Amino acid sequence: MKKEQAAPVPFQSFGRLRRPGIGLISAGAKRQLVDRIVGKLLLFVALFAIVTVFFIIVFLLRDGYQIVLETGIWNFLVGQDWNPAGRDPAYGAFPLIVGTVLVTALAMAIAVPLSIGTAVFTAEIAGPRTRSVVKPAVELLAGIPSVVYGFFGLILLADWIRIAFDQPSGSSWLAGSILLAVMAIPTITSVAEDAVSSVPREFREGSLALGATHWQTIKNVVVPRALSGIGAAIILGMGRAIGETMAVLMVTGNAAVIPDPITDIFSPVRTLTGTLGIEMGEVAFGSTHYHALFGVAVILLVITLAVNGAARVIVNRMQATARPKPHRALTAAASRITHAASAPFGRLAHPRTSQRCAFLLISLSAAIVLAALGVILFEIVVNGAGAITWEFLTGSPRDLGRAGGIFPAIAGTFWLVTGALAVALPLGIATAVYLIEYTADTPLTRGIRAAVDLLNGTPSIVFGLFGFAFLVLFLNFGVSLIAGQITLGLMILPTIIRTTEESLRSIPGSLREGSYALGATKWQTIRRVVLPPALPGILTGAILSIGRAAGETAPIMFTAAVFSSRYLPSSLAEPVMALPYHLFVLTTSIPGASTQSYGTAFVLLLLVLAIYLAAILVRRRYNREKVM
Amino acid sequence: MDESTILETRDLNLWYGQNHALIDISIRIPKNRVTALIGPSGCGKSTLLRCFNRMNDLIDSSRITGEILFNGNGIHDSLADVYAIREKIGMVFQKPNPFQKSIYENVAYGPRIHGVREKKALDRIVEESLKGAALWDEAKDRLHEPALALSGGQQQRLCIARSLAVEPEVILMDEPCSALDPIATAKIEDLIIRLARNYTVVIVTHNMQQAARASDYTGFMYMGKLVEFDMTTKIFEDPGEELTENYITGRFG
Repeated sequence: MKKEQAAPVPFQSFGRLRRPGIGLISAGAKRQLVDRIVGKLLLFVALFAIVTVFFIIVFLLRDGYQIVLETGIWNFLVGQDWNPAGRDPAYGAFPLIVGTVLVTALAMAIAVPLSIGTAVFTAEIAGPRTRSVVKPAVELLAGIPSVVYGFFGLILLADWIRIAFDQPSGSSWLAGSILLAVMAIPTITSVAEDAVSSVPREFREGSLALGATHWQTIKNVVVPRALSGIGAAIILGMGRAIGETMAVLMVTGNAAVIPDPITDIFSPVRTLTGTLGIEMGEVAFGSTHYHALFGVAVILLVITLAVNGAARVIVNRMQATARPKPHRALTAAASRITHAASAPFGRLAHPRTSQRCAFLLISLSAAIVLAALGVILFEIVVNGAGAITWEFLTGSPRDLGRAGGIFPAIAGTFWLVTGALAVALPLGIATAVYLIEYTADTPLTRGIRAAVDLLNGTPSIVFGLFGFAFLVLFLNFGVSLIAGQITLGLMILPTIIRTTEESLRSIPGSLREGSYALGATKWQTIRRVVLPPALPGILTGAILSIGRAAGETAPIMFTAAVFSSRYLPSSLAEPVMALPYHLFVLTTSIPGASTQSYGTAFVLLLLVLAIYLAAILVRRRYNREKVM
Repeated sequence: MDESTILETRDLNLWYGQNHALIDISIRIPKNRVTALIGPSGCGKSTLLRCFNRMNDLIDSSRITGEILFNGNGIHDSLADVYAIREKIGMVFQKPNPFQKSIYENVAYGPRIHGVREKKALDRIVEESLKGAALWDEAKDRLHEPALALSGGQQQRLCIARSLAVEPEVILMDEPCSALDPIATAKIEDLIIRLARNYTVVIVTHNMQQAARASDYTGFMYMGKLVEFDMTTKIFEDPGEELTENYITGRFG
């Protein structure tokens, strides 16, 4: 212990805080006023989320309810025939609903075991080294734009299915489901992994201390405890699959038929999202067909909302029962384990043998996921890298994109993303600050949160439709850069709100108290004490949103993008080229442009992956700082 | 008591929702002395402490009746400025809570939010405050390193320095040593005694030896009531209430 230090200096005499009239009375009136104004402003911004949801619903319903008037709700929902272009147009959405259900169901059958296996692998089995490879790999899988998946599915997967199963065409239900499975895997895996690794340590230790093997512990203690989280993960993955447009549209064949027999996985199908993606571009405004498409969007929205709502109920229930009785779970597990031990003849295999088998299967599922990523990356990198030339990166497209470059598309994507961020960042951060810092749990904040959840679960094609109906037509922006920027901005808004909220929540309340105890106002506390350490988390969210906005096709397809433009846009009112849309059109409509397609896919992939890597790096650095 | 009073409560009652946490508390905190509040967990001593600088305002479900006077002015008066009150009545928390800033910026935070801008003035305040909290010798060569790199005891002294920097008249301490080891605790206790030359200190503690060692006055609380309040020597040597005696002799608690 150190010796007595210099006696504390009495300091009554700085005189710096002796402002005139600083009694207890109203010296801080101005600060309080600022504080109150900021609070009101933030509330105003936070209400924006509710307003947006309201507008989306109003615009979908406004145009969608017409079809119910024209065909009758029953005919629309269960009509067997979707044929808007025929001489006798028919608007029965039933085959589309069936298509969506079938594609999603098979995708989940593939994705769920692989995802849970991968989640258990990373959370329980993998060493730190392996984990540091598998986790980012799964996240990268989430980062690949859906149009790149579609491109890959069309040129490789569909072809493989055609040859391997000797089918006339590979564009099928199966192809769509496999692609959707790969796309849903990252969602399911990461949420399920969170659930598994949040099982408290004492559960595991309690079980292991009873002599259970690691596998018995996982099977009897860890997974049952994480079950509701895993359930939520599956449903969230399902929501992702149902709302997906581009990839599905490119590989399912898009015939609006119900497979016959219903188990014919090689039959082409058409989903709700695919229908919107294909037909919205060429429909006459205000026609029956137009109304029918909005009706389809309403069905889609209702389905995804129901699915996401179910996930939320499960998560809430999970949180409500989060304080469990470990002893009860443990005694149950213990009795199961001792029971197994006392009946050696009833056992199929020695615990160690079954552990080995189980771990093999689990590792295998992780390997399959890694392999999927590897194949996609390999295919696109190997074929795409060759297409990259100076002209390709800096020139304008010629001959319908078969020659020349993609510079206008790169620039267009850049402008779209920048504008989307300019819209979403201020709104998102302000909303999150209001939600976390300014209010307790009131009906109003619950409303705002529900609206954010709703936006989060809304399929991107529905944003596209809303942008088209509201911005392009109603506000008369036309197909323009600004319409695309706003649409993309709305789409990434919930992500930014969520990540900012999380980041703010991770700042301990004791820091806020420390600041208040020094006489700081709420706004001073937020600006100087809460926001700075929350910044890396907010930044990560923003970067992830950039990746998402850069790769999305559906929201800009009808609002901002054109296929060919030799020049860069000179104002916000002009349409632009964009990388994902360019890739989509090249792949689906321009024969003989495969080099250019690979090149475009490569550039898009590189761009998005670089953005995701940046996010991962920011988070890593941030985590290291936190440990210190 | 013939000491001059700086903080006073009259018939103070506080509820958290339905929970009646403080019952009819009337206490006079003498100026420039160390007052300790002791009592078993949940007796309301921390709640009472947080009333003095209106930190309970931050808890939505809390409700108050009665009066709290600071230098004779009611702190809940409609015109009272809660921020000025917290400036004059500082607080040190149970767990050290330095901001994620440098040592220097932690101490300069308070003066900055209250409008001090010149670098020179800030430098001086930081130095004086760190000296006042007996941290200057250890910290003077690393002022711009992150505060979180300090040890737990140093962090707590930094938090004390941080509250000294806004020139409070009263420093409230909520079990300031409960997260510290014995050596760091001894340093803080030492510091508390010296602070009392210029400040009024109110300390909540679980540790009766600490109350006996470091305080001039002691209040014993039980189930939301102030059972007894007197000179520390009186409380520990000749308590007036049987309940107090039972507690300080360790029969319950």
